[in-house]
Amino acid sequence: MKEFRAWHLFLLMGLFGLFFLFYQGLWGDPTVLPPVIIEEPAPEILAPVLYEGEPIRLSDHLGKVVVLNFWASWCQECKLEHRFLLALKKRFEDNPNFVMYGVNYQDKDHLAKAYLEEHGNNFEHMIDMKGIISIDYGVYGVPETFVIDKKGIIRHKQIGPVMGDVYSELIEKVIEPLLNEPVT
Amino acid sequence: MSIELGHFAVVTALVLSFVGIITPIIGLKTRNATWVVVGRRAMISMFILLTVGMAILIYGYVTEDYSVKYIYATSNSKLPIFYKVAGLWGGHEGSLLLWAWILSLYSMLATLIHWKSQPVVMPYLILIESIVLCGFLLLILFLSNPFERIFPVPLDGKDLNPLLQDPAMVVHPPLLYLGYVGLSIPFSFAMAALFSGRLGEEWLKATQRWTVFAWTCLSCGILMGGYWAYYELGWGGYWGWDPVENAAFMPWLVVTAFLHSTMVQEKRKMFKVWNLFLIILAFSLSLIGTFLVRSGILSSVHSFAADPGRGVFILGFVCFMLLLSFGTLILRSAKLKSTVRMESMVSRESAFLFNNLFFLVALMTVFVGTLYPLLMEVLEMQKVSVGAPYYNAVFMPVALGLIFLMGVGPYIPWRKSNSKNNKKLLKLPLMVSLAAVAIFFVLGVQKPYALTGLAVVFFVLTAIFTDFNKVSAFWAKREKISRIQGFFSAYRGNPRRITGIIIHLGVLVMVVGIIFSSMYQAEKILIMKPGEEVTLKSFRFRMSKLYGVTGVNWGGQEALVDVYQEGKIIAQMHPQKRFYTVSQTPTTETAIHHLNMGHLFVTIPEVAPDGTWARVRILHNPLVLWVWYGGGIMAIGAFMNIFRRVRRRSSQVTDTAGMLPEVSPNIAQPTR
Repeated sequence: MKEFRAWHLFLLMGLFGLFFLFYQGLWGDPTVLPPVIIEEPAPEILAPVLYEGEPIRLSDHLGKVVVLNFWASWCQECKLEHRFLLALKKRFEDNPNFVMYGVNYQDKDHLAKAYLEEHGNNFEHMIDMKGIISIDYGVYGVPETFVIDKKGIIRHKQIGPVMGDVYSELIEKVIEPLLNEPVT
Repeated sequence: MSIELGHFAVVTALVLSFVGIITPIIGLKTRNATWVVVGRRAMISMFILLTVGMAILIYGYVTEDYSVKYIYATSNSKLPIFYKVAGLWGGHEGSLLLWAWILSLYSMLATLIHWKSQPVVMPYLILIESIVLCGFLLLILFLSNPFERIFPVPLDGKDLNPLLQDPAMVVHPPLLYLGYVGLSIPFSFAMAALFSGRLGEEWLKATQRWTVFAWTCLSCGILMGGYWAYYELGWGGYWGWDPVENAAFMPWLVVTAFLHSTMVQEKRKMFKVWNLFLIILAFSLSLIGTFLVRSGILSSVHSFAADPGRGVFILGFVCFMLLLSFGTLILRSAKLKSTVRMESMVSRESAFLFNNLFFLVALMTVFVGTLYPLLMEVLEMQKVSVGAPYYNAVFMPVALGLIFLMGVGPYIPWRKSNSKNNKKLLKLPLMVSLAAVAIFFVLGVQKPYALTGLAVVFFVLTAIFTDFNKVSAFWAKREKISRIQGFFSAYRGNPRRITGIIIHLGVLVMVVGIIFSSMYQAEKILIMKPGEEVTLKSFRFRMSKLYGVTGVNWGGQEALVDVYQEGKIIAQMHPQKRFYTVSQTPTTETAIHHLNMGHLFVTIPEVAPDGTWARVRILHNPLVLWVWYGGGIMAIGAFMNIFRRVRRRSSQVTDTAGMLPEVSPNIAQPTR
């Protein structure tokens, strides 16, 4: 055994690390969602925008209802919900207390812009190239949509595309009641 | 009654697998060959017994015996007979039985074929194969028994998952298992070499065809799966970096690296430990893949029910196999110090070294991407998913590097190349690839990655045909025959090399298909009402009708989409949204129109309940068929390789016919 070399050690460590990982993994369920940070203050965001303009700061919008939609141009489901997002923005366009942002997740600028050109756009987008905002918000895939109330508390998280019934429920049961809540 | 007979057959096979483990050990200890003969008989009996088990289960499917829980879960009386039989591998339990059956088939064949020529290997082969078989039979009988009955007996089955009712899906699992399990033969030979200390090149030579066969099945299985995802799942793409796809892709990468690096050991006696490591890694990855898929620890399109009990068992088994094999490698590797050193960084050895390096980088990329979500979860951080951008960003440069090596590796001499030779090798291919880039640029292919890819493809193509030309000319001159006959002589002289190059050509065809179908894919998703139109590139799609249709075990809606190009109708396409009544599952049936080796692809993922509109997804995938044509060429090359005739032993005819000036007589000398 005098020939015990460094690669032997690495190999064994790698193997045991792997076994440990697999063993631990067995007790999790990949389809169960992590504790969602609902009813918690929304983490602060300061991010560059996709098109020209000042960076977006989330705390500037205290007192308003903010909808954050995480998306990417490589995401198939996002394409399905896009029409509904446009409708959502349009519906509350005239309400001064409604703000909506897209968060472009791990994407390339030109691809994101091409996507918006193709599918249409009526709201502003910030860039989350490295997925930092997404980690803060516990986004595990796109699309995900968050609704933040006037006090800056996350009140709703929608995983997967906002379309059909989900869309109407989001408006009727989440956004409209929140808009009607008083600011304290 | 008969089902119990099948059950009993498999239980007996399990008992015999213990015989297969014990007898070779006793045989080795007592140096008595009779014990090994007993092991061999156990091996053959196991195959017969598992065949009986399989046959009885298939009989149960055909005779619609829904008192068997597994048959109930994966079949239905309305299914066509073809899919009734395929129901056997339509779920977890039956597909494991198929796994075990294929393993016993391989083991038996290997024992019979190599019994005379490799007597030293036999006890180890029987031992290792029996251990693996034992593990799987334990899993089948105690944790996933396909012979289990249910009571009361249901009137009819729950139906095979409609997504699996597809020809590609019927052959996909058996092919993949033939690939996965086939790796166990070279693995056993490698373990035999380690245990017995006979660490020469014999084990490589004996298993080369087994490895190529397993590799071919694995490749075809992966491509089949891609084809299925393409049109049955309606992805519109053939590769989604899904964890389970990756689980099959990882061993493929390693086997491919192994097939290349074995040549270095055969010719130059280098990379000995490395080759052992690679084949052990390849088989380990196929076991790990089985674990990842069957334990349900990763979320994927391939969902088997998650069951920690099963997971723990498979994990325990995988741990045992990995520690046994890698442990032996560590303990024995000291014996294996290569005495041959790399002479130059510009030589065929180093080309192979880079080849292996790239394959390993590719492996690490896929490995990390696949397990990263799991790691994050275990560390109780957020759930993450790794998307295609990660893989594309890391994988593409590695793939390009590998393709480039295909144009250099086979043509650069062993040991050391000189600069004159290098120039000669590179000049023409470089010129052709530059010309090709210029032409494609003018033709409108202007994306940098596409151009780089095409440049590399043309580089390699030129290198291949220059070499074909050279060897044909050599043989034509030597045997005074025409160039074309000369090529066939060259093939007969070294079929292994030529078939390898044919596989390379298949890869090139596939790469062109991938470049065009991924980078020049055009897509539109929109809501359409009958009578509405949309244009995509030069095509105009008009949805003329939307109406109800019914099949044997499904009902649904179909759209009639007319496709026009330059004002003329070129196709009528019928995409469907189906609803399988028994299993209550909706599926999306793709309509595909072939066009210049590409596809127009239409699906209707959603139809309004009142049938007034449909969500339509339209794709144009240029040259997408090249992906599978390339796969076909690779398979042809591989089968020619497997069934090639053994090269005649002539001292003059060396396999380096392509580069005769560099043949040096001392290559074949033993260096140990």
